[in-house]
Amino acid sequence: MLRHSIGRVSKATSIVAVAGMLTLAMAGCARGTTTTPASGSVANDPGITNSTITLGIDTPLSGPVAGPGSCSLAGLQAYFGATNAAGGIKFGDGKTRTVELKSYDDAYDPAKAVSNFRQMISDKVFADVGGLGAGNNLAIMPIANKEKIPQVFLQSNTTKFSSDQTANEWTTGWLPTYRSEGEAFGKFLAAANKPITVATLAQNDDVLQMVAGLEAGIKGSQVKIVAQTTYEATDPTVDAQITKLAGSKADVFFSADVQTPLAVSSLIKAQQLGWLPTVFLPANTSAKTTILDPGHADAYPAVYTTGFSKTVTNPQYAGDADVKKFTKDMDTYAKGTSVSNAFAQCEWAYSIGATVEAVFKSMKAPTRTAFIDAVHSIKGLDVPLMQEGVQVDTTSRTAPAVDVTRIQQFVNGAYVQADKFKG
Amino acid sequence: MKKTFMANKRLRLVVYLAVAIVVIVAPLMLSPYMNFQLSMVAVFAVAILGLNIIMGYTGQISLGQSAFVGLGAYMTAYGVLSGWPIVVTFLLACLVPAAVGFLVALPAVRLRGHALAVVTLGLPIIALPLARRFPDFTGGSNGKTVDWMNAPAWSGLAVDQWRYYVIIIIAAIFFLFARNLVTGRIGRAFTIVRENEAVATSMGISSYRYKVLAFTISSLYGGAAGFLYLGAVQFTSPETSSFLVAINILAAMVIGGSGSIAGSLIGGAFYVTVPFLAGQVNSSQTAIFSGAALLIVLLIVPGGLVTVPRAIRQLLAKRTARANARLNKESGEVEGNSSASTSTP
Amino acid sequence: MNSQFVQLIVDGLASGSIYAALALAIVLAYRATGLLNFAQGVMAVFSTYLAYSLWQAGLWPLAAILIAIAISLVFGAGVERLVIRRFERGSINTAVVVTVGLFVLIQGISGAIWSYNPLPFPSLFPLTTIKIAGAVVGIRSLGTIAVLIVVVVLLQLLFKGTKLGLALRAVADNPQSGSLSGLPVGRLLMIGWALAAALGAIAGSLVAPQVFLSPGMLDFVLVYALAAVIMGGLDSPIGAVVAAWFIGVVENLAGAYLPFIGDDLKIAVPLIAMFIVLIVRPQGLFGRREVVRV
Repeated sequence: MLRHSIGRVSKATSIVAVAGMLTLAMAGCARGTTTTPASGSVANDPGITNSTITLGIDTPLSGPVAGPGSCSLAGLQAYFGATNAAGGIKFGDGKTRTVELKSYDDAYDPAKAVSNFRQMISDKVFADVGGLGAGNNLAIMPIANKEKIPQVFLQSNTTKFSSDQTANEWTTGWLPTYRSEGEAFGKFLAAANKPITVATLAQNDDVLQMVAGLEAGIKGSQVKIVAQTTYEATDPTVDAQITKLAGSKADVFFSADVQTPLAVSSLIKAQQLGWLPTVFLPANTSAKTTILDPGHADAYPAVYTTGFSKTVTNPQYAGDADVKKFTKDMDTYAKGTSVSNAFAQCEWAYSIGATVEAVFKSMKAPTRTAFIDAVHSIKGLDVPLMQEGVQVDTTSRTAPAVDVTRIQQFVNGAYVQADKFKG
Repeated sequence: MKKTFMANKRLRLVVYLAVAIVVIVAPLMLSPYMNFQLSMVAVFAVAILGLNIIMGYTGQISLGQSAFVGLGAYMTAYGVLSGWPIVVTFLLACLVPAAVGFLVALPAVRLRGHALAVVTLGLPIIALPLARRFPDFTGGSNGKTVDWMNAPAWSGLAVDQWRYYVIIIIAAIFFLFARNLVTGRIGRAFTIVRENEAVATSMGISSYRYKVLAFTISSLYGGAAGFLYLGAVQFTSPETSSFLVAINILAAMVIGGSGSIAGSLIGGAFYVTVPFLAGQVNSSQTAIFSGAALLIVLLIVPGGLVTVPRAIRQLLAKRTARANARLNKESGEVEGNSSASTSTP
Repeated sequence: MNSQFVQLIVDGLASGSIYAALALAIVLAYRATGLLNFAQGVMAVFSTYLAYSLWQAGLWPLAAILIAIAISLVFGAGVERLVIRRFERGSINTAVVVTVGLFVLIQGISGAIWSYNPLPFPSLFPLTTIKIAGAVVGIRSLGTIAVLIVVVVLLQLLFKGTKLGLALRAVADNPQSGSLSGLPVGRLLMIGWALAAALGAIAGSLVAPQVFLSPGMLDFVLVYALAAVIMGGLDSPIGAVVAAWFIGVVENLAGAYLPFIGDDLKIAVPLIAMFIVLIVRPQGLFGRREVVRV
């Protein structure tokens, strides 16, 4: 009996010993290794060597927004795939580097986004670039700014990423905000200087800012919002909402509907009900082939949108050199991402790639600080797939990288610049 | 010998001690990322444990656990931002979801299997628009960012280490409480309700009351997990309550082990590591990976990963039994079979 | 009567028909196998993608859909044989979780094969409308309703009038006694799943032209469909269709005329309605009273 228990105890001590050794082993490969470089020297930050730079993207690749999310990755893959094949990018410090892109799927879940971002830091990713979505990136934002890791050129129309870049220096948005989009159209309507009635439909989340922008734009004018409804991104139809709006017989249908199927069915429903207002569509849901054609938008007196980029699916850009190169790069380097270029987000990601390249070119040292300084000092930059005269400007600390919203009208199969409201 | 391994009290104590040492020492060595991941394991282990109490132990399907996690996180965010004492915030983060769970359970647990599944499925689906309805409380679709649970100066710890310890300690208390619950009188009642309601009635156990109790406790655990969630993530938004999160919590529970305390912990680890593992293969195909993992586990070890050691032991025992049987047959000892087969646990 | 009020009711019937299409597939699967299949929606989407691919390959839409329905029979049977079969004797909880696993897996597979882009799907019915009682009614909705009615009639005939239907019901109600009375239980359950998958293909093809084809196309339709199925009494095709219409109409009216519901909380309506119905009438509107087995 005694011997027996002695045997047990020795077994027990060996377990404790093993545990102790395990912790010691972990100590070996832990904490101490992340050494900070001595001040003064321009040691490389994590994720950048003399020949490569590692970028990360945290974006939804599964779940409800997997479509646009996959595009936000695919566009970057296409762009950097091409620059890598051409030998790399010459950085501001004189060295030529290729870009390694690591993707992380957050399924639009904030907890996963935070986890991914922390993984990025531990994977020695230099910067988080071009991620799509508000909820996920908002969760990352405080960590990025606390840890001083760049989280830049986000594909989100939320004002929050751009409105205070002095306080949140390490986070920037790329797309024009929903608010500025709505405001631009509001001002456009107000400038007509006559009584106009508007009915609005908006997705019940961040997209609502577009209506807030519209309200700001029409303040003090003769333009009145006479009916307002919202829908959930997950709703199967918006027929009932359109029936309500049609009852208002408003002159203008302001659609902040960013779901392709719902945007199409709302255009169909309104004309079925015999309501034929002038239509406004948001920039990311106004393409000819995916929205206007299936929605039979030619029935409406006029269709307006805000625009800044060339929509590759629009036939008017079929022969465009940018579009050709984009399509070729997508086909070559963005395989296996489960997206075609049906979403505008693919194109914008490609343009974001070009913006990042410009930042690299003006980045004076291989550090995150040098990178973020360069991020905030791009001016008058032309990137591929932008419309004539639309440039990237990151010098404002209160606006996103692309802050140009132009009102365009759909005329004879193409969007053209609109100067005056013809209701 | 194998059987008595864990039965020996002193040995068990030593094993626990060894685990405790690792758990306590690990964060001092590991990277902030690993500490965050381990904290998240604890967060979701508590949520999964709660689901296990209603589903694994009491046998009632619930597809809505994420709604309670979200509510707990919102409650915490509101309390912290309003400057309430942390203990009050913590209690409310547990009790408000528990109260909501109780009110939902009163009518809902009258429903059987499928109907209860669909009702609870509705919770995360309603939670999203509901959260946006009250932006003062929830921050609307932008959510709430909260900077809290930072390491006090006296601790000398980095923030990730401090949060790890706070989360692990609270989670451990909830695990201990659950263990005592399910091994006690109430837990036995849960099991009887799960196995056969008619028997429960004949024993004077009110199935209805115990189901309501189990659902309430389950919601309380969800709320507590929400409190811990906000500690680790420092942010919550309507997406925290989403249907997808609920589905993943359910899958993790089943994979870890339905009706098992240790299984809940394994489930938490699974919940956190699967997206990571899937990301290593192909981050675009996470859904295929987790769906396939769930089905494969159910096919091979229906009791969850926690039963893997038992399954292996059974397999080995069967093999030895068969070998013994052959041996016995060869030596002509026919009745020796019975002794071999009874040794299988 | 206010014309908007009538129009909202008509719209509700149209969207209710969408829910009903999927609800019928769920009812069929339940009636034939006794299992509520949470993956019914994604299986239907998968079938619809098959039709889409055939259509893209140059087939007529109707031919593509018919072939997809035929393939779905095999697909449904395969899922039953390879996956569900192994859990049929286990607890109902495990079986439900298995369908949840299928839900995640099949959706992922659809996304990997056909991408997450919403794809346009051809409609068998024109977009034109007619006016009934001052309300505008789409031919597409009428077409959907017509198909639904045909399906309901066929299902009633199947279950009430054929040997196969009776056998399916017997097995779904009680597999043990079914097998004791010499019925090929396994094969019957397989047939049940095959038929449900085929019906799912019909549902998907009816819904896709309006909501566009994407892997998550039926996720939220599924919630409505499940609510309708439960409300209608789980095993009643007519009950499911009536409940789905009821849900469609009530959610529209509540969204329009009850300010505290509004457009954002419309989805709460079917769930609350289901809840109330179940409390008052546990077997659902059209369901048979459940016999408690001890």
